[in-house]
Amino acid sequence: MNQPLIWLHEEALRVTHPVFRAAPEGTRAIYVWDDEYLSQLDYSLKRLVFMYETLCELPVEILRGDTVSIIKQIAPSILYIPATTKPHITSTMSKIKSVANVEVIPDENFVTITKAADIRRFFPYWNMAQKTAFQKNGGIDA
Amino acid sequence: MQQLQTDFQSRDSLISYVKTLAPWAKGDPSPIEGGRQNAELKLASIDPKAYGETRNFGDGKITRLSPYIHHGILSLSEVRNFALSKCGNPQEITKFIQELAWRDFWQRVLTEHPDWAWNDTEPYKTGFTASDYADHLPDDIERGETGTTCIDAFIKELVTTGYIHNHARMYLASYVVHFRRVKWQAGARWFLQHLLDGDIASNNLSWQWVASTFSNKPYIFNLENVHKYFGNLIDTSPDANKLLHASYEELQIRLFPNIKGAL
Ligand SMILES: Cc1cc2nc3c(=O)[nH]c(=O)nc-3n(C[C@H](O)[C@H](O)[C@H](O)COP(=O)(O)OP(=O)(O)OC[C@H]3O[C@@H](n4cnc5c(N)ncnc54)[C@H](O)[C@@H]3O)c2cc1C
Repeated sequence: MNQPLIWLHEEALRVTHPVFRAAPEGTRAIYVWDDEYLSQLDYSLKRLVFMYETLCELPVEILRGDTVSIIKQIAPSILYIPATTKPHITSTMSKIKSVANVEVIPDENFVTITKAADIRRFFPYWNMAQKTAFQKNGGIDA
Repeated sequence: MQQLQTDFQSRDSLISYVKTLAPWAKGDPSPIEGGRQNAELKLASIDPKAYGETRNFGDGKITRLSPYIHHGILSLSEVRNFALSKCGNPQEITKFIQELAWRDFWQRVLTEHPDWAWNDTEPYKTGFTASDYADHLPDDIERGETGTTCIDAFIKELVTTGYIHNHARMYLASYVVHFRRVKWQAGARWFLQHLLDGDIASNNLSWQWVASTFSNKPYIFNLENVHKYFGNLIDTSPDANKLLHASYEELQIRLFPNIKGAL
């Protein structure tokens, strides 16, 4: 029977990320070493080593291949993905959505902002953010 | 699909393995090591109270947590919670919390406007249009051989460690865009290759901020400013940094000749 799966990407490399709480306990977690994706980013060796040594400390399998094909092959019942703003990852995510049932899990909030912030300049944002920025968990009960 | 190795005898063997996986990747590894244990050690040693007064200085009490925060090894909230636990009154660490908030702000901006990652959000306010700026980073900058000694020192640190101070990032970005008239996108791409914390939101939008395509005026600096903040760390002598040895009024005329009056 198909099982749930966590696809971890390079912006969510910790076991306390909410993605691990969202998925059922013991869910298999993978990171995909996707040569095409990585070479497109053109990162220097420094970045790759930093990322790889971080991955090695995590309970995650590192699989090499094309991300979408690997996920298609595993065919998870549901795929949990940490939210990100990185365009390269969000575009892969859109492709994955056509082959798997995806749930995107945001990271812990830094602040609680109810009204849409004016995002052209920092200080209108800060005026709202500072109400909860000085509170533990950004004002949210953990 | 091939399962990759995650167990290594030493850092050197891990590095050799990564080299075989990515033979195209340039340069050497950084002395800064990844992983949660290293992140926790760095977190334990932060001094958020002294941060406010000293953060602009090259040897100030900055945290160097950015590579860990960028990779999600530490969450921003976790860093804030830890900083709060180290002080009696949250007002003592206002500046620190505010700087953490900059990251949250940039992330929100990019979430709302993914197209701003690589496109100018507004025109340049430099008296020039985007087409006046070069598309590519000149080789001497990439090699750290510009002939302006302090700039070369910052480049060397960027390339060898993958980390530079916020102020040094501002200087380099301003140097690339305003002193060399190169598009911010070329500089942003270069930073992303090297910075261990290289993050499209914080990086590209900061470049736009320096360039003035996401701010009201261009950010410029002079040698006096570099000397004040980094004079005890690098060579800031006028002879070795002639290009930057000028007043702000002189620089404005030289860098933005089409602008009459104050920026
Ligand atoms: C041209 C330019 C490019 C930049 N590129 C990046 C980048 O790719 N990735 C990145 O994380 N930051 C970037 N920054 C922002 C800032 O320089 C770094 O976050 C900071 O220098 C990291 O060092 P630190 O961890 O010692 O920061 P500290 O000063 O100790 O701050 C603690 C944390 O707060 C956050 N932070 C602090 N200042 C800023 C800021 N101005 N903007 C966003 N977040 C901030 C970071 O997560 C940082 O780790 C850039 C700034 C400029 C001017």
